[in-house]
Amino acid sequence: MSKLQKLAWFNLVMMTICFILSILFLLILIRVNAKGIEYLITCFVIACITTPLFFMLHRKKSFEAGFDEREKMINRRAFSCSVIGLTVFLACVCFIPFFVLGGQNVVKVYYLPLIFLGAIFAAQFVHSATILIQCALEEEDG
Amino acid sequence: MGSNRLSNHVRRLRFEHGEITQQQLADKVGVTRQTIIAIEAGKYAPSLPLAFRIARTFGVSIEQIFQYDEEES
Repeated sequence: MSKLQKLAWFNLVMMTICFILSILFLLILIRVNAKGIEYLITCFVIACITTPLFFMLHRKKSFEAGFDEREKMINRRAFSCSVIGLTVFLACVCFIPFFVLGGQNVVKVYYLPLIFLGAIFAAQFVHSATILIQCALEEEDG
Repeated sequence: MGSNRLSNHVRRLRFEHGEITQQQLADKVGVTRQTIIAIEAGKYAPSLPLAFRIARTFGVSIEQIFQYDEEES
């Protein structure tokens, strides 16, 4: 398994864990209605999750320096696919409620952070999955 | 429009030059073993600089390693 594949698996697992934890804390935030000290505590907890995520992404950049031309090409293709995935996700999230609920209806504000987290997860998931699929296809007969 | 295919003799040249492994060749030209595997299988067309590095490793010209076949459909 190449460094790129290891990184893709690592990202896939880490993003899934971060996504689940973020959703859990967001649900807690919605439950306590985010006021006063509770709000600060919840922000602190979210910071505890996002800080390791930042270092993880920073580590990824230094990791990419060791990639060869084929891996960089795979990464570029995966990035293009992740942009498509992100667009499809946002289109579904925005248009499905519009057509299902109708133009006169109201969507609650707490769906917005969920959409944000979902968009990040969708883009990262498509990126990692595309890398793994491309590597698997190239190594099929290797 | 014809279909194009880049064939190569990397595998044969590896065995003719002291049976060097894919990993040894990869280290010499500065890529991963997976890239050498993909090139040998014809699934990846290397860039011109990489093709030159491979050719220089074996001491031959690029044309002696890579052949570009264009088939008319």
